[in-house]
Amino acid sequence: MSVKVEVIEGGVPHNTILIAGVVSTLLCIYLTYLNVITGTEMFSFFGGLAVVAALIWGSHTIKVLCSYGIGTGVPSAGMIAFGSGVIAMLLATRVSNILLAPIVALILAAIIGFVLGYVANNVLNMKIPAMVSALTEMAVVGALSLMGFAALITGTFGFSGLTTGTVSMFGISLLTHTNSFIGGCLIAVAFLLGAIAIQHPFNACLGPGWTQDRMLMLTAECGFLSMIVAAVMSFALISTGSALISLIVAIIGWAYTYKEYMALSKRDAHSWLDSKPIPEVEGQ
Amino acid sequence: MSAVAAKPQAGGAINPTAMVVGIILTLIFLAICYYFSPTLGMTALIGVVVGGVLIGFGTHFVPVGGAPAAMGQAPGIATGVAMLAAGAGLAGLFGGAWAAEQGIVIAVITGGIGGGMLMAITCMMVNFIYVFGMGIPSASGKVAKDPITGDTQAEFKSQGTEGHGLPFISFVGGVIGGLLGGAGGTLIYMSLLNLYEAALPGIMNVTAAQVMPIAVSTAGIFAVGLFLVNAVLTAYNITGTIEGPHDPKFKRWPRSIVASACASALCGLVAVLIVVPLPI
Repeated sequence: MSVKVEVIEGGVPHNTILIAGVVSTLLCIYLTYLNVITGTEMFSFFGGLAVVAALIWGSHTIKVLCSYGIGTGVPSAGMIAFGSGVIAMLLATRVSNILLAPIVALILAAIIGFVLGYVANNVLNMKIPAMVSALTEMAVVGALSLMGFAALITGTFGFSGLTTGTVSMFGISLLTHTNSFIGGCLIAVAFLLGAIAIQHPFNACLGPGWTQDRMLMLTAECGFLSMIVAAVMSFALISTGSALISLIVAIIGWAYTYKEYMALSKRDAHSWLDSKPIPEVEGQ
Repeated sequence: MSAVAAKPQAGGAINPTAMVVGIILTLIFLAICYYFSPTLGMTALIGVVVGGVLIGFGTHFVPVGGAPAAMGQAPGIATGVAMLAAGAGLAGLFGGAWAAEQGIVIAVITGGIGGGMLMAITCMMVNFIYVFGMGIPSASGKVAKDPITGDTQAEFKSQGTEGHGLPFISFVGGVIGGLLGGAGGTLIYMSLLNLYEAALPGIMNVTAAQVMPIAVSTAGIFAVGLFLVNAVLTAYNITGTIEGPHDPKFKRWPRSIVASACASALCGLVAVLIVVPLPI
């Protein structure tokens, strides 16, 4: 039996964030399919936007779960989200009809998260009311964020696209498995980029002065920061022009959210001082 | 209840119904795997479940102090369960992966030694910092005498704390935990690697040499994912801090075994299904 130590007051209700998160994440992942329709890789940046949307939803879920004293620290929630998410995401990319992959990832992750929630709540006797729903949501967030990263870096979210890359040798382009999202283990970097971005905002903003808009703005900032790194990695796998679009979108998003986050932090601070170096007073 | 008094109270009680449900779920996942892939997949899944259970059990030995330990108010290493388990297990996994070509037995032993060494070094450096940096002696708050050395603890314990530093029994527990965690992580990796090396070339229509980077990478990322799931579930079982094998919380391990077996069976099943032709 645990006691809830913080109450959610004001702000957008969690269910609204949940629905908005699912819809916008899936929409952004599907928008990367424009790559296949138009035959380009220009729309890969929508994968990064899907990551940001999923992370915003996920960090609010962590807030709901960690409002109960779970006694293990906030980062553990981010780790289990991506640990269970990566497993669901990899199997989902294997479906033959590529358009079903995001939906399959969502359902599969929800099943895994539900079982993990049941195990944590009943077998391990945690008895936290939000446990099952929160772990279900977080597994889905983990799976969809990784799929977003995959779409951002490679321009696709199918198993063959993620395991096959091209390398050009003496002007001839050859198929290779080493130069790919999974074969080159870029997925491990994407894993930790997401896991750190999802657990940091609540860990940094929790406490009596917690405000919803400030935490979610920090999540967006962390998401765009991860997107910058992922966009740089995407230069290896997609055309330079498309990767440049992703990078510019990520930098603009990061600069905007960082500015907004600083403004919100100053709003919530009791008082602040733009301090300068200690002046040297002469003659004393 | 105030926020200060609201410590997590998961309690040590065992819920018999949930334990039975957990065991039945594990058997169902194993049966599904047997239906899809009776030989290769089943061998791999059993390896994954055993590895997951080793991780879950081993983590109970590791002295986890959390934030109170950082302030010298509780014994153990000053970080969370999930971080320590992941650190020990991943260090072991990397060690074991180097020895993958020598066969599964040598790889698993190497992984165990890698995890154990990481914990031994961590425990030693933690004690260096406690003793020479913070100026506090090592004393357990849970037992009157160290079960191994027989040293009394009470004289060294400061008033108002639950003990501090890293007593000998906690050090030994940390090394044992690292051994089990590292061996478990490597067993998961090796089981999946053997499966993917055997099955992926047929599915992707490529040669065994071409499939190596994909097999290694997929098995590795699955092992990391499974490791984190097991580590966090064990962290939920311990809720907060544990001193080592002499801590009363150590008696909660049966719950963790069932939870780890159930979670590993489900996640391992999904990992095995990747090499099975899917209907959709």
